[in-house]
Amino acid sequence: MESLLEPFQYPFMIRAMIVGIAIGAVCAVLSCFLVLKGWSLMGDAISHAVLPGIVGAYALQIPLAIGAIASGLFCALATGYIKAHSRVKEDTVMGVVFTGLFAFGLVLFTKVKSDLHLDHILFGNILGLDPTDLRDTLVVGGLSLAVILLLRRDLLLFCFDPGHAQTLGLRTDFLYYLLLSLLAVTIVVSLKAVGIILVVAMLVTPGCIAYLLTDRFNRMLWIATGSAVFSSFFGVYLSFLINAATSSCIVLTQALIFLAALAFAPRHGLLRRRKGLGAEPASIPDSGS
Amino acid sequence: MIDTLLLPFQYEYMLKAICVSGLIGGVCAFLSCFVTLKGWSLMGDALSHSVVPGVAVAYQLDWPFAAGAFVTGLLAALGMGFVKTKTRLREDAVIGVVFTSFFALGLLLISLFPARVDLRSIVFGNILGISDPDILQVLIISGVTLVVLGLKWNDLKLFCFDPNQARALGINTTVLHFTLLTLLSATAVAALQTVGACLVVAMLVTPGATAYLLTDRFGIMIGIAVSMGIGSSLAGAYVSYFFDGSTGGCIVTLQSALFVLALVFGPKHGLLAARAKRRAAFLA
Amino acid sequence: MSKESAELELQVRNVTVGYPNGNIALRDATFHLSAGCICALVGINGSGKSTLFKAVMGFVRPIRGEVLISGQPVKTALKRNQVAYVPQSEEVDWSFPVSVWDVVLMGRYGYMNFLRISRAEDRRIAAESLSRVGMLEFRERQIGELSGGQRKRVFLARALAQRSRVILLDEPFTGVDVKTEGTIIELLRELRAAGHIILVSTHNLGSVPEFCDQVVLVNRTVLAFGPTVEIFTEANLARAFGGTLRHFRFDESTVQKHDGRSVTVLTDEERPLVFGKGGHLEYGQRAGRESVVEQRAEPEDGP
Repeated sequence: MESLLEPFQYPFMIRAMIVGIAIGAVCAVLSCFLVLKGWSLMGDAISHAVLPGIVGAYALQIPLAIGAIASGLFCALATGYIKAHSRVKEDTVMGVVFTGLFAFGLVLFTKVKSDLHLDHILFGNILGLDPTDLRDTLVVGGLSLAVILLLRRDLLLFCFDPGHAQTLGLRTDFLYYLLLSLLAVTIVVSLKAVGIILVVAMLVTPGCIAYLLTDRFNRMLWIATGSAVFSSFFGVYLSFLINAATSSCIVLTQALIFLAALAFAPRHGLLRRRKGLGAEPASIPDSGS
Repeated sequence: MIDTLLLPFQYEYMLKAICVSGLIGGVCAFLSCFVTLKGWSLMGDALSHSVVPGVAVAYQLDWPFAAGAFVTGLLAALGMGFVKTKTRLREDAVIGVVFTSFFALGLLLISLFPARVDLRSIVFGNILGISDPDILQVLIISGVTLVVLGLKWNDLKLFCFDPNQARALGINTTVLHFTLLTLLSATAVAALQTVGACLVVAMLVTPGATAYLLTDRFGIMIGIAVSMGIGSSLAGAYVSYFFDGSTGGCIVTLQSALFVLALVFGPKHGLLAARAKRRAAFLA
Repeated sequence: MSKESAELELQVRNVTVGYPNGNIALRDATFHLSAGCICALVGINGSGKSTLFKAVMGFVRPIRGEVLISGQPVKTALKRNQVAYVPQSEEVDWSFPVSVWDVVLMGRYGYMNFLRISRAEDRRIAAESLSRVGMLEFRERQIGELSGGQRKRVFLARALAQRSRVILLDEPFTGVDVKTEGTIIELLRELRAAGHIILVSTHNLGSVPEFCDQVVLVNRTVLAFGPTVEIFTEANLARAFGGTLRHFRFDESTVQKHDGRSVTVLTDEERPLVFGKGGHLEYGQRAGRESVVEQRAEPEDGP
């Protein structure tokens, strides 16, 4: 019993759990929009693309987050521009652009003498956070969460039917950049804790879990957040017990929840489908409402 | 000056690295033509991350790393196919969930057995320190890939262009599908050695995309892509001597620069050509 | 309100739109519509029809020319909720997690505050719009759980909820059952009577004379526009559709006993299947089928 409670005795563990939960919640809310917009891999692209920005910002002595957001946005804009102006498919363009930026970041890294740890940028260092990191994460994460939640109806419409949003006079270009910026900010906030590569999981998996389980957006937000918060808490805790990489424990917990949702989801799950009771659009009797 | 520039060639490890990079670059570029036309760019990214747990296990059990990598790569591909057909999730979301899960599993294994595997060499590649058995594996993978692509080139071309027609002709498209996936996993493993997991996708996409901007003929496209792949890999490996051995970074930066050049100056599909065309149409 | 409806008009002046790759999609398109009309935008795929549609909605910026709604640029008109849009069914992600009610409320966003919190007024109008298309009882359904016709009606209700003066419908009759088609046409007529401008993009020629009083023919530019009766001539349609239009001329067919007055059936996609009075198959060309003509001539002459 005592060994099970041991993790809670260490301040760094408590910090890790708080940060993990905060990041998990922001990423989960954002992931609902990304999954519906078809931008799941935009998170992948932007998270890699922030590297040159971080290294460059370090060299220029400006806050790392500013550099990261700048190069993340550059990646998204360059992808959009090249897609619109050439015949190369979007996914290919994305692959070319983000790897190019990441590679450039690596080359830059060899030329900038710094005390940055590449490993920490790539894999996160959630157990080594100090109280200032905790404060930064909570403030920035809280701000982006607030913006997403306040504007969630506009963002939802933007994902669902951008054409209609435009005829309503909504600024769809503004919403586009807003969503991209939120993505970049969230990635930067998460970098220290989970690293570039696994933040992608936190930006995709909770949304997918929720999408498997419900047909309503508000419920989707709750399910995604709930599963992400639980995964962060449980992942940090588990990593202490088995002495393994924390970020991968978080992501694997999410992956297991995803598998469970895949199998047991009430309407879209595999078991349900096998019984032949799966959702059949348009053939449900009217009395259902 | 000349002495400095020739310095890399004095070291055997540099020569080895340059040659092996060139070979891998060429093979990946060949495959990249099929990958970009098939729209599998992100599959390359996903597979290159998904091989990580396999590599970790293989090192742990003293197997050839390619074997382990290969197994988890294919498992991931199967997993993505399965989830995609069984749910209403979009393909990109499925890819995102599956490959990050595999990668996380790889990290977990590495963190549980830290002594045996060097995480950095998986993520960034370690061509400068490549061992002879590893070179042998790369040679085998490249040889097999080139032979299969050489023999099945027309089938694969048709498969990428019009899979239904291929099926109608009595060609077994399932076999072709898995052939291409297998080749992709195999070359991803080879490329992992040179540029690392994060940048494999560049080797498997950028040359094909660049060539696609420059030509409308499949044969010429392969020619351009392969020469670009070999050239940029040789040059990148050489230059990396002056950049702290960040071989992957150098090769991929070079490839991206070539892509940008093709994008801007491409004779038919380039941005400048489009602008000229627009102006001409506007004045007409 | 009546003052506004008197001023309502849609003007498209010399609109030229280019693709990013340098090709021109539409050149010098010009037409105008005034309040109280249903106008069909007719043209083949790739004729620039959807580009013109997008230009009217302000989705693409013309390299030359302008679109004015009641004398205002489109952008201003959009801010004033003057334009509503019913998308093609294929453009909508039907598994998106929103209910019928959510979709219709989205039509009211332009009237809500910055947080898009609905007021009682918005909910009342949304409910009224839904019941007007007969979909109120389905309000809690997820949109994918509806039939093709029901889906279309929901999006029509969204346009109604928006209370716009100009309504654009993109291919409203594809994937829609006959009953819904009737409902939609009935509703469009009511809106016309209330002084709206309704612009319908369609390649379904047959339905155009049924309910559209104005037509704009598009093929890389506006070939002709005006009242349907004047514009929908064989010569104009041949220009708009080029070689892709199918003809069935009765005076050349194997139809018996036509009285010399010629009837021509035009369709843009499929060849029409024509049956004679006796329920037998008709062929488009007489030549080579003389025996068929003779054979059928006898029983008809009998009684």
